[in-house]
Amino acid sequence: MTAVPSHLEGRVAFVEAHAFGSGEPVQRYRLANGLSVLVLVDREAPVFSYQTWFAVGSRHEREGKTGLAHLFEHLMFNETERLPYGAFDRKLEEAGAESNAATWVDWTYYYENLPKDSLALATELESERMARLVLEEPQVAREKEVVMNERRMRVDDDVDGSVSELLYSTVFREHGYSWPTIGWMKDIEGFTAADCAEFYATYYAPNNATVVVVGDVDVAELLTLVAERYGALPAAALPAEDVRPEPPQTEPRHVEAHKPTETERLVVAYRGPALGDHDHAALSVVNDVLFAGRASRLFRALVQDGELAVDCRGWVSTFRDPGLYEISVTARPGVRAEALLEVLDRELSRIVEEPPTDDELERVKAKLELGALSGLQTVAGKAEQIGFWSTLTGDPSDAFRRLAAVRRLRADDLRRAARRYLTPSSRTVIFVRPSGEEPSGDDEETDA
Amino acid sequence: MRVHVESSRAIPLVGFTVAFGVGGAHDPAGKEGLARTAMRMLRRGGGGLDGKGVEQAVDRLGAEIGADASMSTVTVSGEVLARNAAALCELVGGLLARPAFEPVELSKLVRESQAELVEARDNDRGLASRALRRALFLGHPYARRVAGGTASLASLERDDVAGWHAAHLAANNAWITVYGDVDEAGGRELAARLVAGLPAGAPTPDPVVDPARRPGRELVFVDKPERTQAQLSIGTLGTRGDDDDHHALIVANTAFGGTFTARLMAEVRGKRGWSYGASSRLSLDRHREAWSMWTAPGEADAPACLALQLELLERLVADGLTDEEVAFAKSYLARSHVFEIDTAEKRAHRELDAAVLGLPAGYHASYLSRIGEVDAGRANAALRARLSPEDLVVAVVGTRARQLAPITAAIPRLARSAVVPHDLE
Repeated sequence: MTAVPSHLEGRVAFVEAHAFGSGEPVQRYRLANGLSVLVLVDREAPVFSYQTWFAVGSRHEREGKTGLAHLFEHLMFNETERLPYGAFDRKLEEAGAESNAATWVDWTYYYENLPKDSLALATELESERMARLVLEEPQVAREKEVVMNERRMRVDDDVDGSVSELLYSTVFREHGYSWPTIGWMKDIEGFTAADCAEFYATYYAPNNATVVVVGDVDVAELLTLVAERYGALPAAALPAEDVRPEPPQTEPRHVEAHKPTETERLVVAYRGPALGDHDHAALSVVNDVLFAGRASRLFRALVQDGELAVDCRGWVSTFRDPGLYEISVTARPGVRAEALLEVLDRELSRIVEEPPTDDELERVKAKLELGALSGLQTVAGKAEQIGFWSTLTGDPSDAFRRLAAVRRLRADDLRRAARRYLTPSSRTVIFVRPSGEEPSGDDEETDA
Repeated sequence: MRVHVESSRAIPLVGFTVAFGVGGAHDPAGKEGLARTAMRMLRRGGGGLDGKGVEQAVDRLGAEIGADASMSTVTVSGEVLARNAAALCELVGGLLARPAFEPVELSKLVRESQAELVEARDNDRGLASRALRRALFLGHPYARRVAGGTASLASLERDDVAGWHAAHLAANNAWITVYGDVDEAGGRELAARLVAGLPAGAPTPDPVVDPARRPGRELVFVDKPERTQAQLSIGTLGTRGDDDDHHALIVANTAFGGTFTARLMAEVRGKRGWSYGASSRLSLDRHREAWSMWTAPGEADAPACLALQLELLERLVADGLTDEEVAFAKSYLARSHVFEIDTAEKRAHRELDAAVLGLPAGYHASYLSRIGEVDAGRANAALRARLSPEDLVVAVVGTRARQLAPITAAIPRLARSAVVPHDLE
């Protein structure tokens, strides 16, 4: 642990050290205004990653104002009280930064990777936009245009993007996971500067943020800079989250969608566990037995041997609240989605009835170990893991606890998770057909 | 055999890439896709294992492997838990030296590749890029698709693949880089395992020449139904690594469209909000490649956006960049360079790329000093010498009925135009 310098006593407190693999621990500090600072010193290269994670995502929006959290991902690079439009990015680029941001259902984060001599710049810019963003009509109008174009590219003109949106709005009828993080187009069009100002005042505050710094930094210098730049920022009165839990799905759902594509697609989703749920790791390993790599059961059955599909994927959502176990399959030309579903059902039944073999389990565990290590090769990769787990579960050590939990899993654990989650009544199926095949009328949803 | 080892003890992983000096540009006419297909076949059986056995063995080691082709090279790469590095290199060495090339597996791979060509039609940006290259490099191997086409893939037989393998996968045609948790001696030992079963052979001759500039402005409109926006890809010929003005053109491109605050992004997105992204790039290969810029405006803004981009290019070449713009681009390139070399994997692949692309000796070692020598005069001279606003291709993916006429009208001095279906190969 690096002690808090004496001149910062009363302003910065050491909170705890979080184990992070076999290397140095992650040190957690906190300012009086509630800002958390997580630091991992890594001198492998003369660089550092500076990330700011806000515990706000699209789940915190309300109907009619969807996409607001994502709009901030754009607005936060704009004008501040001290920086004219464009200056924020210009200063970063002049320093050689890689910078960007990402928004999802539970969080938003901003990052810059910089040469080691730029710590003062990072703290100056990030503290500036945390508290002094200019949110007036011209700034908001310009970014709305950009986001509408982003939506056209990622959703309206993209088959996978539009089907994903359809899936979540079909499964979730109460919870904020129902709407797309980028927002509905009509909501984006309607945002006002007042909407943005209210959102900013509510969620962009030091006590709703965690600064993560990984790299070749001097911790005492970092803490001094953070105290100087952020120390005077006021904490916000964070609202109690008005989350509406999603009730259990008791009947299967089925949707037919028509898209401008040449081949059919199958999307299947079961209600899944929250990231912090004990079964999350087990269901993720079930998914890997089915879909990870070219030796996996469904890749062989659908792509390699069955020659029915060109691609198949599965994913257990990594959300704070219970999410989905999503499966998507892209058919080969001339193959109907029903044929894909038949094979999928056969393999899903099999994994419920027959546990994976020891060899399958060992192969998946080895692949997961590789994946976990691969993501830690850069300072940005490490910072992202620390920020993600800290924001979602409160403890960056969970990145490695998760790996340890996977190592302990036995075949029976997987069968139990499969039986718990792969239930027909909680399933939603979407058949995607090429445009031109549809009967008259819009996409049709039925409770089958 | 040329070997480079890049050691780092930071993470207990080892990676490698074996690159051979042959690629899609060297495929025989009518057999496009041969190099890529032959490489992909390596995973479908070899070294005494069938395809499933190969994949299971790789997974068991905690490894990933890849086999693919680009225009000028083919590669086999891998990443593995350090404790299993020797075993993976032994396995991959067996695949390289003793591939099965089972005809049944070849037929399955051809059908899979053909299905992938159909799926790729869902990627509008990819469609625009391919349309640009087809027209810009018309008659040159760079116009090809490394993946091949439906008919050329169907023509591939076992003898084609086996003959290609025998002709090109040789130790003296290979560059190997090993990186990660391994020392120099250990890395060289792993490299030796990878190519132990290959013949010595010789480097593959490269008959490809530089593409010629095609005069005039050409529009290729890729007609795709139900588009709400247009994908605009505009290109002309660009640079070679051994051009005297190569580094000056890198600086100039960075100032124009290589960063978030560069001219192109500032004008298209910053001032007008017309496109989520706006960027320009200089591609690099063994021979002169493309300079191109990309945007994706909404349907209503697409004609104006296209006209603006052409005007920006004309002004760039005619009036040049300011001293301030050039100084900024140099600062960005110099300071961000650390992110090109901050991991062993990046350092290793940088050296490998320099070798397989035939970049001048010392290319990377002198990179920063060469960038530092560029001033506005040199940058602007490079723009005038290399980028032609009058000899270019505009590739657009959109819906013809609504977008063709206004797009056509937005291109002054248009010499040629064509409308092609989005499923054109």
